[in-house]
Amino acid sequence: MWSYEKRLQFPVNIKEPNAKLAQAIISQYGGPDGEMGASMRYLSQRYSIPYREVAGVLTDIGTEELAHLEMVASIVHQLTRNLSMEEIEKSGFANYYVDHTVGVWPQAAGGVPFNACEFQVKGDPITDLMEDMAAEQKARATYDNILRLVKDPDVCEPIKFLRMREVVHFQRFGEALRMVQDRLDSRNFYAFNPAFDKCESCDDKPDCGCDK
Amino acid sequence: MHEHWRDDNFEDFPIAMAYVPWQKFERLYDDLEKGYCAGTVFPELDKPFTGRRCV
Amino acid sequence: MGDREQLLRDIGIADFVLTELVLYLDTHPHDCKAMEYFNHYNRIKLQMEKEFSQKYYPLNTRYAESGKEWRWGAAPLPWEGACA
Repeated sequence: MWSYEKRLQFPVNIKEPNAKLAQAIISQYGGPDGEMGASMRYLSQRYSIPYREVAGVLTDIGTEELAHLEMVASIVHQLTRNLSMEEIEKSGFANYYVDHTVGVWPQAAGGVPFNACEFQVKGDPITDLMEDMAAEQKARATYDNILRLVKDPDVCEPIKFLRMREVVHFQRFGEALRMVQDRLDSRNFYAFNPAFDKCESCDDKPDCGCDK
Repeated sequence: MHEHWRDDNFEDFPIAMAYVPWQKFERLYDDLEKGYCAGTVFPELDKPFTGRRCV
Repeated sequence: MGDREQLLRDIGIADFVLTELVLYLDTHPHDCKAMEYFNHYNRIKLQMEKEFSQKYYPLNTRYAESGKEWRWGAAPLPWEGACA
């Protein structure tokens, strides 16, 4: 269940359109390391996690990613509204324009459409959290790359905000991984998948008190 | 959940695994507006992009 | 910045502090100090949201109760930006 708030997590007020920049930033909407992939990754991975607190981290970060998705869409929208036909042709925006006019559609900077293959749900808590930590780093590096392209402070401020959230989320996923490790046997973290394999006493008593 | 391993015994951590140290909450930024613009209210997590080496 | 913009900004800041505390508490559920901060800012945020919705427009349908008309649909959209 979700509840919509009619405001952005961080304000986006862009005065100058810039179609070229919009084409780069749209990657964080529907690209390989974008916010659509981020939100769907965490919100899809939650179900198989056998630890409530860890599923809670995935839920809360996944929810925040939806707010980031809306921020990135707002940046793209404001960078492309009120464009003249001349600007569209000059800035190389014609290819996007012909299919979507100035609507916001999830694609990578290179035009590749959003695809669920941008993320994984392995159903193994260690594997999924490692992917999440890597995903935060990839998104952080993408925002670094965007920041090198941005001169307009109206665009820079929300991008800097979004970039820092990746660092904070990395820390939280790292701590969530520690919570998983704390529940496993440190002599062999890989002995079984706590989201799938049963313990021996489960055979006699289905409610034996183990996490599975 | 049992006690978290102490991060100062890093040598004792089993190999073939990755560990992020636990954040220890000290304080929030006094200027919350500053934290909002930075993207975190925790000073210890505020690690901005500079785009330059040796800054 | 006008009064409406200032209040919306203050709500944004308070809610952001809460987002940070929620994620921190998710992995540190026994941290009493962080819990106190959460309680404090949560009260402030709820109060400001209520005030904003009464004075200007509802930010969430839970604040959309009204004697006369439905004001939710006419409220500004978040992606419009200040210069819309």
